[in-house]
Amino acid sequence: MGYGVGHLQFAPDTLTPDVAVKRLRIAAVVTEYRRYSHAQHIIDRYLFGYSWNGRHHVPDIELVSLYTDQRPDGELSRDRAKLFPRMKIYPTIAEALCRGGRRLDVDGVLLIGEHGNYPTNEKGQRLYPRYEFFQQIVDVFGNSGRSVPVFNDKHLSWNWDWAREMVETARELDFPLLAGSSLPVTRRIPQIDMPLGAGVQEALCVAVGGVDGYDIHALEAMQSMVERRQGGETGVEWIEAATGVDAVVKAMAAGSFEQGGWDPQLFRACLCRSHRLVPTREGFNHTLPTNRQIEALMRDPKNRNTPVLYRYQHSDGLKMTMLLIEGVVHDFTFAARLTDHPRPLSVQMFLPPREVCNFFNPLTHATEDLFHDGQAPYPIERTLLTTGLTAAGVESLFRKGQRLKTPHLDIHYQPTRRSTYWSN
Amino acid sequence: MTRNEKIGRKETRREFLETTAAATLAGSLITNADAATEDRSAPQAQKTPKKRIAIITTLWAYLRHGQHIGDRFLVGYPWEGDWHEPQVEVVSAFVDQQPTAADRKSREEEYGFPQGDQSAERAREFGFSVYKTIAETLRCGGRKLAVDGVVLIGEHGDYPTNDLGQKLYPRAKFFSQIVDVFRSDGRAVPVFNDKHLSYSFEKAQAMVQASRELGFPMLAGSSLPVGWRMPEMEVPYGARIKEALAIAGSRSLDSAGLHALEALQCLVERRRGGESGIRRVQTLTGAKVWKALEDKSWSPELMSRALSRADLVEGITLKDARTQDLAAPGVLESIVPEPQAVLFEYRDGLRATLLMLGGAIGDFTAAVRLDRRNQVLSTKFHLPPNPNVVYSACLAHHIESMIINNKASYPIERTLLVSGLLEAAHVSRAQGGRRLKTPQLDVRYHAPRASLYCHT
Repeated sequence: MGYGVGHLQFAPDTLTPDVAVKRLRIAAVVTEYRRYSHAQHIIDRYLFGYSWNGRHHVPDIELVSLYTDQRPDGELSRDRAKLFPRMKIYPTIAEALCRGGRRLDVDGVLLIGEHGNYPTNEKGQRLYPRYEFFQQIVDVFGNSGRSVPVFNDKHLSWNWDWAREMVETARELDFPLLAGSSLPVTRRIPQIDMPLGAGVQEALCVAVGGVDGYDIHALEAMQSMVERRQGGETGVEWIEAATGVDAVVKAMAAGSFEQGGWDPQLFRACLCRSHRLVPTREGFNHTLPTNRQIEALMRDPKNRNTPVLYRYQHSDGLKMTMLLIEGVVHDFTFAARLTDHPRPLSVQMFLPPREVCNFFNPLTHATEDLFHDGQAPYPIERTLLTTGLTAAGVESLFRKGQRLKTPHLDIHYQPTRRSTYWSN
Repeated sequence: MTRNEKIGRKETRREFLETTAAATLAGSLITNADAATEDRSAPQAQKTPKKRIAIITTLWAYLRHGQHIGDRFLVGYPWEGDWHEPQVEVVSAFVDQQPTAADRKSREEEYGFPQGDQSAERAREFGFSVYKTIAETLRCGGRKLAVDGVVLIGEHGDYPTNDLGQKLYPRAKFFSQIVDVFRSDGRAVPVFNDKHLSYSFEKAQAMVQASRELGFPMLAGSSLPVGWRMPEMEVPYGARIKEALAIAGSRSLDSAGLHALEALQCLVERRRGGESGIRRVQTLTGAKVWKALEDKSWSPELMSRALSRADLVEGITLKDARTQDLAAPGVLESIVPEPQAVLFEYRDGLRATLLMLGGAIGDFTAAVRLDRRNQVLSTKFHLPPNPNVVYSACLAHHIESMIINNKASYPIERTLLVSGLLEAAHVSRAQGGRRLKTPQLDVRYHAPRASLYCHT
C-alpha cells in the first residue's frame, strides 16, 4: 500500500514512566455522571487509570473537583467521591473551579456536556449546555485574572455563533482549548494516517447513528484525515444534507460526486474496511452487499435512525461525503481518493466495544497532554470546523436539503505533523 | 457415476443464476453486477483457469469454521480495503456430520433462523458437488485426483472427548485419507489444516512426515498469527528474547489454548537462532496458579503488560463500566474461577507461559521481553466480532496463496510444535500439574523474516 506511517516494527513499550514536575489538579464540569455517559468514561479514567502504551496508566493529574448538572437515578458521582475522597463535589461551576474559595484553584478543566436530559429544538438539536458551562468557566478565569487549559468533549456547541465565540474567548484569554470526538484519536485498522501533504480529491465516511450525535463523530474522523492534505485546511464552501432511504438510494445510484452521489470505489473500500457489515442473506456471515441489498438493509424497520447524508465541498475543491447508514454497518470507516494513487486509501476507525469503551483512552490521554504541556495536542480549528459543519448539516436538513453556502466556515489551519491517533 | 457428477457444472451454474434472478427481495450474491462494486468485481476474462479446491470439513453450518472459512472461497472476502474474488474455485466438498438436533435448536434460538447443514444448498448455488467419501471428493467422483488443493477444516461437530479433555476431531484420520488418494493417484497437492494438526503429537508428526515424503506444501494452525494486532507489533527478527507470556480470556485449554499458544509461537519463533523445540511443560490449575503467581513463576510485569492490552475487560468493569487494573493485587484471584497456567521451557532456555484467565478478559494478548534494554513488546491479537469474524478472511488469504503458489507462507513446524505442546499441557494437567519432559518436541525451524500478520 505504501500509505501513512506504516506499521511499527515494534511498539515502544518501555518509554520512561510519566514524570511530572508538579502534580496538576483539575476540575470536571459535566452534565451527568452515569454508566456509559461520556463523563463516566473520561472521569473514571482519571480516577481508576486506563490502558496506555501497554501499561495500566494512572494519570499524574489529580481530579480534585466535580460539578454535575444533573443527577439521574443510579448516577455514579457520589459513589465515586466516596471511593476517591480527594475529589470534592461542588454545587456550582464557579465553586468547582475555585474549590470553594474565591479564585480559580485548578490547573485545567474538563467540560463534558454529553448525555443528560436537555431539551431539543425544532431542528432536532439537543441543547447541551456546553457554551453556557464554558461561559461560567471563563467568568471564573476573568474574575481570577488567570486562565487554564480547557477540554470540551465533542463539538463545541450546537450553535455556530457560540462555538466561534468560545474559540475567540480562548484566544483572548490566551488559554489552550482542546475539543472533539474520540474518533480522530482512536485505533485504526490498519494503523495508517493520511500522508502529510497528499493530494486528496474526494473522501467518504460510512458510519452509523443519527443527526446531531453521530454526524459530529464521522465529520471529525474525516477531518482528522483530510486536514493533512496538501496546503492544509482551507475551509468549506457549501454543504447539502439529506435524510431518508430514498435520498440515499438516489445518491448511491448517481455514480459520482458531481452527479449528486459519491465515488463508488470509495464506498466499496469503506464497506471492505468494515468489520461489522450486516449480512444480507440468511446463513451467510459476511458478503459485500449490492446497492439493492443496501437499500433493503436501510429499510429494515428495526433501525433506530434513518439514514443521513451530508455532502460538502472544501474551498480547495475537495469533495466530501458523510453517510450514516444504520442497518448496513455498525462501525466507522473512511476512504479517500488520492492524486496519483490508483487505489483509494481506506481505514477503519476502531471503536472497542463496551463495557470498557477503550476508545476513550487516547482521548483522555490527549486531555492529559493538554494539561501537562499547556498546549492542545491538535488544533481547536478542527473541531470549530466540524462544529460548523454539524450545525450547517442540520440547517440544510431543516431547509429540506437545500444547498447552503458556508462563507462562515472559511477556517484555515495546518495539522500537526505528527500523527495523533492511538498507535502505542 | 454419482448423481452429483451427472448434474454437472453447467447445469448447476444455470440453476444458480436463476436462483439469483428470483431472489430480488432476499437479495443474493455479491457478484451481482449492480453492486456498489460493479466497477471492480467483474471477473476478469479468465486467462488462466482458477485452481480447483476441495473442502473437507466436519460441519458446514452457520458460523462454524467449515462455513465461515469455506464461504470465503465462494463469496470472496475483504483484503487490503477491497473485496477479493478468490482465484480458487470450490469444486467438491465432504461434510462429515449434520448439526445435532440440540445444537440446531439452541443456535436457532440464538440466531433466529434454521441452523442445519448448509453444504447441499451451497453446492447447488455455487455449482460444486458434495460427495460421500473423502476419496470421491478429491477425485470429484472420477478415478484420479481432480483438485489442485485441499482445505481440511476439522473444527466443530459432535465428537468424543478423551480423559485429558481433548476433543477427538478426526483431522489426522481425514488427512490420512487425503494422503491415500495422493499416493494411489501419484500426485499430491497443497493441504491446509485448520487449527492444530491433531490431538495427538504422534499423529501430527505422521501428517507432517507424509507431506515431506510426498513433497506437498502444508499450512495449518489458528488465524491469530495472521490476523490484526492492536497495536501493530512484531518481534524484530533475530532478537534475543528473555521471556514470553500469552493470555487467553477463556477456560478452554483445548480450543482457546491452541489459539493463544500459536499466537505466542509466531512471536517467539523469530528469536535469535530460530526455533529450538520445547523441553519441559507443566500445567497448573486452580489455587496452584495463584501460588505460582505469588512465587513469580512468570514475570508479573509481562502479565500486567499483556493484561493491559485487553479491550474486553470483565470483573468489576461489568458492574458499572469502570476501568480497572487487572494486575493489581488480588483482582485476578477474585474474578477468575478456574485459572490455568501452562509453563514451558524451550530447548534454548527461553521460558514462556500461557495463562488461561476466563472471567478476567475476553481477548487474546501477549507480551515478550527482549534482551535489548529489557524492552517489553505487547499486543492484542484482535478478533473481529461475529458475524463477520474477519480473522478468517486473513486466514483465507494465506490458504489461497499457498494453493496458487504451491508454497506455504509460514512453516508447518510451528503448528506441529504447538500441537505437541498443547497435548503435553493436557497430559500434565491430567497428572495434577506434573512437570513433563518433552524430548519428542525437538522441533526446529526458522521463521520467515517477513511479518505475515494483517496490517495492510
